[in-house]
Amino acid sequence: MPNNHYDAIVVGSGISGGWAAKELTEKGLKVLLLERGRDIKHVKDYAEANKPIWEYPHRGDRTQQMIEDYPNLKRDYPLNERNLHYWASDKDCPFTESKPYSWFRGYHVGGRSLMWGRQSYRWCEEDFEANGREGIGVDWPIRYKDVESWYTYVEKFAGIQGSYEHLPQLPDSHFLPAMELNIVEKDVAAKIKKHYNNLRTLIIGRSAHITQKIPGRELCQYRDMCWNGCPFGGYFSTQSSTLPAAEATGNLTLRPFSLVKEIMYDKDTKKAKGVVVLDTTDNKTYEFTSKIVFLCASSFNSTWVLMNSATDIWPDGLGSSSGELGHNVMDHHFRCGAGGQVEGFEDKYYFGHRPTGFYIPRFRNFGSDKRDYLRGFGYQGAASRQGWGREVAELSIGGDFKDALSEPGAWSIGASAFGEILPYHDNVIKLNRNKTDKWGLPVLDMSVEIKENEKKMRKDMQEDLAEMLNIAGVKNVRTYDNEYVPGMGIHEMGTARMGRDPKTSVLNGNNQVWDCQNVFVTDGACMTSASCVNPSLTYMALTARAADFAVSELKKGNL
Amino acid sequence: MNRRELIKMIATLTGGAVIGGEFFLAGCNNPDKGVTLAFTADDTAFLDEVAETIFPKTQSAGAKEAKVGDFMTRYVTDCYTQPDQEAFHKGMDMINAACKKQHGHDFMKATAEQRTALLIAIDKERAEYQKNKKQEDRPHYFQSFKQLTILGYFTSKEGRTTATRYEPVPGKYIGDYDYKKGDKIITNFD
Repeated sequence: MPNNHYDAIVVGSGISGGWAAKELTEKGLKVLLLERGRDIKHVKDYAEANKPIWEYPHRGDRTQQMIEDYPNLKRDYPLNERNLHYWASDKDCPFTESKPYSWFRGYHVGGRSLMWGRQSYRWCEEDFEANGREGIGVDWPIRYKDVESWYTYVEKFAGIQGSYEHLPQLPDSHFLPAMELNIVEKDVAAKIKKHYNNLRTLIIGRSAHITQKIPGRELCQYRDMCWNGCPFGGYFSTQSSTLPAAEATGNLTLRPFSLVKEIMYDKDTKKAKGVVVLDTTDNKTYEFTSKIVFLCASSFNSTWVLMNSATDIWPDGLGSSSGELGHNVMDHHFRCGAGGQVEGFEDKYYFGHRPTGFYIPRFRNFGSDKRDYLRGFGYQGAASRQGWGREVAELSIGGDFKDALSEPGAWSIGASAFGEILPYHDNVIKLNRNKTDKWGLPVLDMSVEIKENEKKMRKDMQEDLAEMLNIAGVKNVRTYDNEYVPGMGIHEMGTARMGRDPKTSVLNGNNQVWDCQNVFVTDGACMTSASCVNPSLTYMALTARAADFAVSELKKGNL
Repeated sequence: MNRRELIKMIATLTGGAVIGGEFFLAGCNNPDKGVTLAFTADDTAFLDEVAETIFPKTQSAGAKEAKVGDFMTRYVTDCYTQPDQEAFHKGMDMINAACKKQHGHDFMKATAEQRTALLIAIDKERAEYQKNKKQEDRPHYFQSFKQLTILGYFTSKEGRTTATRYEPVPGKYIGDYDYKKGDKIITNFD
């Protein structure tokens, strides 16, 4: 008879779950880490990491068969020949779309920590205060000062490179030495800074790559092959960072192929007893019990577990008493911006493949700036010399044509804005019991859209960058809007928001489910608003903070 | 959006061609049942010669050595929609027909000089057509031969290692790196 009781159960092994497992095991708890998908061992299982492009029959591109098999994934870059095996199968794990939604998931140990964009930014004071001040959604129950030390704590461990800028809208992290802007980016940065009198800046994109030794990991090698898994551990992932730390304590049990169907709720104690797991290798269910449960299954899946739990007490699931469970879905809207050609610098190039670009922090609706919409956006982009894929108009075919394409072309620069989406109650996910997945479980239905505020913002997202590039002397500046479908940002947030009042929120200020206080939700589901910066660093900080709180409450006998 | 997509977006925005899969945006919906969609060994040999004419051996490898013909058949068969496959097969016939008209015999029987002259003429026609065509019109048939040659060549081992400076593990980044005319593109293994 195997031991099925633990101090804590963590559901999901991505960025948040990995952090929960590390923190709880290091504090002495016996932890069961459940992952619905297969295991991927660090380095050993990164099959694509050292595979050159010519070993792929279609050189990384998608085939017609792939397009047929992945009707959702095909909408963006996840459908490719290189790391397709890291993205969840549309066929096995379907969902329905009352409104168009793109859901790109990673169902394996490490989750999307293996494929994430690695951009890492702190939230600012304003991000935590805006909802309350503007009367949008509900007020965050916490402020920047509540998370500040946790940011520092997770940054020291994860390793975040970046430059110290002292910007109120983008607090500095505890940084490793910054990666370098290239010469054209530096030139554009200087011109923007001068023209806007420091109110707008172009800085190196802050990212979870190590530029200084961290035990157990090697420095980033500037291969820019991150999304295959890094054999050097050059970027933060569950595998490179939190999992080895958790395993080192001797307190961790990792169980892959363990799909959590529901949380077992005890109505007498008003606490969770543990979870019911569907083992996807033998299709049998197993019960595991624990004192506390950390739901870190990714925003929508954490909410899905709640929706399927304690339905005899609350028909809409555990944590649904406020009527907010599943509501207030957010993402970042993007795929629009501007770009252009840079004259000169023909005697300059760059060496190495930098795995980050530049970042232009938010400047709209900040300080004295006021627009006809709320919140703001930041830009992520790069300057580069054109490669072999370019048009060489003056050359037809032949040896000269080939030799010309073997040399870098002109410089160009461009970026996409990433804008904040407000939390709208009617942007919602619901259980769709009329459709089931491979395991016979009900799927999610998505009903999410951007509204007037975001649409107005998209105009500025294009025009502001065009203006800055023009000011910097960039030629042939063009704006673009490649259209955004909710979810494409792969920053899904909300659906179990934190708040101050159990009547209007699902979680309290310590990520505890109001209705069941030994269940913590610390992934993107907990977000009360979205900010415009990439969210993962904040999940890390909130998870470490909640784990600390949970253990202190356990010690006090409160859980 | 990942960085690869960002670079592609900038390329599109600044006039670079996006090469690969879905460039035939206006697909014809009346498949011609008369066209066979399988490639023969002769077809592969033909495509090798077309590609070699587009990208001949210089101080770097030629397209034939990089097995671009074989790549084209695989890519067209697996990645193209049926109408695009048909257009590609027809395009092979059109190259041959144009060769007969210009030189009096099939492309495979033509000398290297004749092939070059022919494809320069076809490429001129292509450039002219592309410039004037309406958005919804199909691209000129030679467009895909040229683009697949570029794609197949620069993603091949021979092309990547002889026509570019292949640096799979640079170990560092220098953002202000001196460049002189003739220095090659620095590439990784993607």
